[in-house]
Amino acid sequence: MAIFVAGEWPLGMTEALITIRHLSKSFKDGRVGALEDISFDIRPGEFVSLVGPSGCGKTTLLRLINGLTTPDSGEVLIRGRPPMFSSDIAMVFQSPRLLPWRTIAGNIEFVLALRGLSRRSRSERAMALLGAVGLRDFADAHPHELSGGMQQRVGLARALAVEPEVLLMDEPFAAVDAMTRETLRGELLRMWARRRMAIVFVTHDIDEAILLSQRIILLKPRPGRVDEIIDVDLPQPRWTGDHRALPAFAELRRHLWDRIYAMAGEGATLEELAGALDSGANLTDL
Amino acid sequence: MTPKLESDAAAASYAAEASVRSKHRARLNARGVVWASWVIIAILLVVGMHLLNAAAGNLVMPRPAAVLQQAMVMWGDGTIPHALGESLTVLGLGFLLASTTGILVGIVLGGFPFLGRVLDPFVNAMNSTPGAAFIPLIIVWFGLYTEAKVVLVWNAAVFPILINTTAGIANANRELTEMAQSFGAGRRVLFWQVMVPDALPSILSGLRIGAAISIVGTVIAELTMAQSGLGGLLVAAGNRFQMDRYFAVVIVLMALGTLITGALRVAERRLARWRFSSQANGRWE
Repeated sequence: MAIFVAGEWPLGMTEALITIRHLSKSFKDGRVGALEDISFDIRPGEFVSLVGPSGCGKTTLLRLINGLTTPDSGEVLIRGRPPMFSSDIAMVFQSPRLLPWRTIAGNIEFVLALRGLSRRSRSERAMALLGAVGLRDFADAHPHELSGGMQQRVGLARALAVEPEVLLMDEPFAAVDAMTRETLRGELLRMWARRRMAIVFVTHDIDEAILLSQRIILLKPRPGRVDEIIDVDLPQPRWTGDHRALPAFAELRRHLWDRIYAMAGEGATLEELAGALDSGANLTDL
Repeated sequence: MTPKLESDAAAASYAAEASVRSKHRARLNARGVVWASWVIIAILLVVGMHLLNAAAGNLVMPRPAAVLQQAMVMWGDGTIPHALGESLTVLGLGFLLASTTGILVGIVLGGFPFLGRVLDPFVNAMNSTPGAAFIPLIIVWFGLYTEAKVVLVWNAAVFPILINTTAGIANANRELTEMAQSFGAGRRVLFWQVMVPDALPSILSGLRIGAAISIVGTVIAELTMAQSGLGGLLVAAGNRFQMDRYFAVVIVLMALGTLITGALRVAERRLARWRFSSQANGRWE
């Protein structure tokens, strides 16, 4: 377990795919600070989790990377350029956000059309992706006919369909039941192993962050700052076997919880920590 | 041991089957009760008409049999079909005009929120003025005949359609628009492929309200301008105290209104099926 200072990388590492430098963002005319002086890099093909209690600006950070909002100061660069909607980024949201009037295949074809694919290759790719998440039989169904877990799977397939270099995931499994969540985590890891896009995964479930990611960026709240960046040295692949039983897992887990309890000492109220304690909670971030 | 288990399973499956059957039966029963109530209420109405007729005479309430007889005469000699044709022309043209202009302007106002905000007080002022208030003006501008009647119907029906369309687009689901943006949707795609379809249920309920108002507008136009159509028949019968003829026309109007709003409700359910079934299931998020 190596610990780096925020924003600094040892020399000789791969060139960064996403560079975040001194990023700050506030709401309500500067009265509510969401993020303050955030800096870190994400390399191509890397699986990084953003972890922290509610109110530490995890979702805001994702929206900044995606270009859905602009920072007050500092910059986000993707391959050296500011993020645009046309960048090679796809997002999976906490709720599936499917267009209810389109079929399942139609929902995937919608985003493929946005990327300028021809009609024929759109439907071929949509079917291929639905096959990959095991929903080929539901191609002609409408979203409301699917269960929540299945809808979220479609959301994942939709994001993967555009073959992004960066996949942003905003607590994608927080609102599904525990068993579905376990399955979806496995599917995500398998997809990632095959395609090796960079994944930025927001969660307030510490176990989930350790199980999935190669690196964990721990944020502290009000305003959101980088508390610590932690490498996760668990064996790959992670979808087989029970990694929760490994001593390394327990050690990481204890370390992260120690840091979070230390945040309580630094003034974060227990209420704010409740978001981290209750991993299944459906709390909205700033 | 085994036989007992088997019999348990059989009993359980029998119980399940019985419960399904009893639920089915309960639903059939409920429907039967509703139908029976309708028949009973209809009979009570007819009996009530009879009693009123016996107590207060033909002028206050015609005999149901006389109404039926007059209805047959008026359908047979072409009076009602001709009037119905005239009314449907006014109603159809007015509603068609109101739908197209209402939806188009509504889409524009929804798509350009600034324009929508600027025009909002004027739209509201027009919407809250009773349609009848414009009758003298419409007569001066358009005369007394079909054009004027169509304008009156249009004026009455256009605002609910317009307001519902604008509101539907302005209140488009932000989660969906943000999703589309994050995948690179431009303004045009966002508007036509996300916000407008999202507003469809709202547009359709605007149309349903507009249709109901169109029927009212048609009758008012036929009563107050050159008498024609079903409204004209109402006035003619009323002025001559021919209450049996009068009721025969009222029944046609009732049926017409019920049919039109019913048809639009079916269209609403069919076109926006996803919305109704998702409400029934309870959305997952």
